[in-house]
Amino acid sequence: MFHGMRRKASVYGAMASVIPKIYMAYSLWFWVSLVLNVIATTIFVFFWRAVYANTNSIAGLDLQQTLNYILLAQIFAPLGNMQLIFEFGYNLREGGIAHALLRPVDFQGSYYGQYLTTMVTELVLQIPLALVVTLVFKVQWPTDPRVWVAFIVSAFLGRTVLFFFDWILACLTFYTTEVWGLGVFVDGISMFFSGRLIPLTMLPPLLLVIAGMTPFAQAFYIPISLLSGVKPLSQAPRLWLLQAIWLVALWVLSRLIFRVAVRKVTVQGG
Amino acid sequence: MSIIQTEDLTKIYRLNQKDPGVTGAIKALVRPRHRDLVAVDQISFTVAAGEMVGYIGVNGAGKSTTIKLLTGILVPTNGKVEVLGRDPHRQRVDNARQIGVVFGQRTQLWWDLALIESLNLIAKIYEIESSRYQFLLEQFSTSLGIKELLPIPIRNMSLGQKMRAELAAALIHEPQIVYLDEPTIGLDLIVKERIRDFIKQQNREKGTTVILTTHDLGDIEELCQRVIIIDKGKLIYDGPINTIKDRFGKFRTITFETCEPITQIKLPPGAEIITPDRHSEERKLALRFDRTITTASRVAAEVMNQVEVVDFSITEPDLPSIVKQIYGGALQGD
Amino acid sequence: MLRYTNLYGLFLIQRFKILMEYRVNFLIGASSTIILQMAGLLTIWVVMRQVPSLNGWSLHEVLLIYGLITLSKSLNHMFADNLWTIGRQYIRSGAFDRFLVRPINPLFHLLADRFCHDGIGNFLVGSVLIVYSLRALDIPLTISNLLYLLVAALSGGAIFFGLNLITGTSAFWLMDAVPVMRLVFDNHLFAQYPLTIYPRAIGILLTWLIPYGFASFYPASYLLGHHMGWLAWLAPFVATVLVVIGYRVWKIGLRHYSGTGS
Repeated sequence: MFHGMRRKASVYGAMASVIPKIYMAYSLWFWVSLVLNVIATTIFVFFWRAVYANTNSIAGLDLQQTLNYILLAQIFAPLGNMQLIFEFGYNLREGGIAHALLRPVDFQGSYYGQYLTTMVTELVLQIPLALVVTLVFKVQWPTDPRVWVAFIVSAFLGRTVLFFFDWILACLTFYTTEVWGLGVFVDGISMFFSGRLIPLTMLPPLLLVIAGMTPFAQAFYIPISLLSGVKPLSQAPRLWLLQAIWLVALWVLSRLIFRVAVRKVTVQGG
Repeated sequence: MSIIQTEDLTKIYRLNQKDPGVTGAIKALVRPRHRDLVAVDQISFTVAAGEMVGYIGVNGAGKSTTIKLLTGILVPTNGKVEVLGRDPHRQRVDNARQIGVVFGQRTQLWWDLALIESLNLIAKIYEIESSRYQFLLEQFSTSLGIKELLPIPIRNMSLGQKMRAELAAALIHEPQIVYLDEPTIGLDLIVKERIRDFIKQQNREKGTTVILTTHDLGDIEELCQRVIIIDKGKLIYDGPINTIKDRFGKFRTITFETCEPITQIKLPPGAEIITPDRHSEERKLALRFDRTITTASRVAAEVMNQVEVVDFSITEPDLPSIVKQIYGGALQGD
Repeated sequence: MLRYTNLYGLFLIQRFKILMEYRVNFLIGASSTIILQMAGLLTIWVVMRQVPSLNGWSLHEVLLIYGLITLSKSLNHMFADNLWTIGRQYIRSGAFDRFLVRPINPLFHLLADRFCHDGIGNFLVGSVLIVYSLRALDIPLTISNLLYLLVAALSGGAIFFGLNLITGTSAFWLMDAVPVMRLVFDNHLFAQYPLTIYPRAIGILLTWLIPYGFASFYPASYLLGHHMGWLAWLAPFVATVLVVIGYRVWKIGLRHYSGTGS
């Protein structure tokens, strides 16, 4: 059994390692993206400074806390990235879904491996931005190692929640060719409700409820708020539990929906 | 009266040599390296109105570059080019009105538009007078058979249909010169015939000058009275098609694969062994025979009488071998 | 001139015929930009509910600025989007050569070839924001104000176009102009908000170097009654200068393309 697991792991690993290679190929774009990210971060910083010009506290957060949150959100933005709609919609469609299903590894599992690898790779690629932002805007990184542990655990939990949600959306591509529009729509919603643009505690009650009903906050807001101190360490276990519940629910749902979608394809033809 | 004239036409590309990646880009900025590629090397020729000229050469010989120089897309590094009394680059717009171009692989039609819509747009761009446009549409509908194609967008057309549509688009504004860059590539024989007939008809009825670049010797044989052969940027032959046909067109090559190595073989008149390459295998025998003197079956029969043949194939002379032979002086003293 | 206008009309009609075939795609494209703007606008609204002043600027004043830049951006987005793709779609594939053998201006052909319907979303958002904020601020929609707005919007669009033309021409050298274009284009995001919230250096950048400020901040300030002197009227001149420079740069790019080819 162990031998079988090792073989599976090496196959997953091989499939997953393709992604870093793809990123390395685009080095000019990498440096340009860095500049573009710095521009966006600069705008955020001055926007929030202007917001706090006439007030000391919003939703219990002062300027420094909010800035810290926003800066960390910029650095860790890849936590909120979704790519399965694109994958399913274009790549799979070109290559044929049947072909992919024939591979002797667990279909969802192999994509999960890729998802995690992509996240790690993208975070690593954010390091130059992190350096620039820390130096220029004086980010306060947490010193307590427990905060980091809380962050890492919730980041992985959240990422997995997002994966299953992404998977469910991607199954929609089996039913429609208008994949790109769906992707844009989801991107727009996730941009706001993930907490990327604004700490979710500042949201009025109605929007806060809506945010709580989306998985974007689970994947992004929870880890970032733990890291930046917007949410205290004491809440970590409760938040992990919440993420775990989301995780299990979406996992089950994703496998169900996938089975239905595959049946539709194999019966009607891709 | 010549409508195309080139004089020592030369085009040299300066290629920047760059290592890949970011370090390569920085190195290239600090110490740039380049090498010069002579794509077209002092080519001179004139074309008279109404001629149909085949412009042939292997891939990379400089055919496309020459066409781009003639159509004004590129500027010569040296030498002159004059089309219809103009510099095609300096007087780009005026020249463009008088020429039609078919780039074999790339369509000029709008991918999603029905053919008729594309043609309407082209008619407006070239300011074709509307009654003339209608008349030509009718004419092309019969001669090119595009009537059924008019409501179909290019993306839904087969290769043969696409090429017919492409030709209609290139000729609808009745240009004086039409440049055809690999127009029959990938087409089956029936469609090729139709296209060749159409081109001949346009040339006959309207005196359209045709410059045809192609790999297909069948195109050349059918359409052109004159060929220009270029290799590595240099013009190596400019003359009537008949010389080429006489010299090379009559030859065929048969390659035999035998059971045992061949020591000696007796051949009928008109056939000769092609000097084997350095890496020749003993069980392969390549023969060249003159079609006007002997036939394939006679040669094959002779050979099969003497050795046991496992397999054989017949090939027409291809362009690279013709070019090689021309270089080897095959046309000197003709 | 008239001929080109007619010709553009025909290109536009043909493009819409294609777009109507993909009706769903058309709707999604047009609305995609709206959705992205919504996220940003929602943020502003949520924040300013609790903090009524952005360093001296009220919500509606901020929305006026945001609306102006969005409207200007949309004009360029709709009519000149092909500048973004010139490298990948036209030069790399060799399709650009076709423009050079047709008897019309290649830049015109490039731009006319594709009206980008995505920009419609931004056009709607920008227009709505402007009208809404003007009314909320009790700024009357007089003839002179409307004329001023029209000139401001057109100038703003032309500023976007001129800058894109300058940076987009790099495609003739780099094959893909998008990275270079983005380095300049993304700076317009600064101009979504009042320039006074930034340090002076950024204000200068966005006024005199990459003058997106004239597409939003200065026209807005004028309409709001702030004293700005001649800065209020500079937009059309800045736009003209940029477009003229852009076209010169474009011609240089064309010469390079024909000189060395690809």
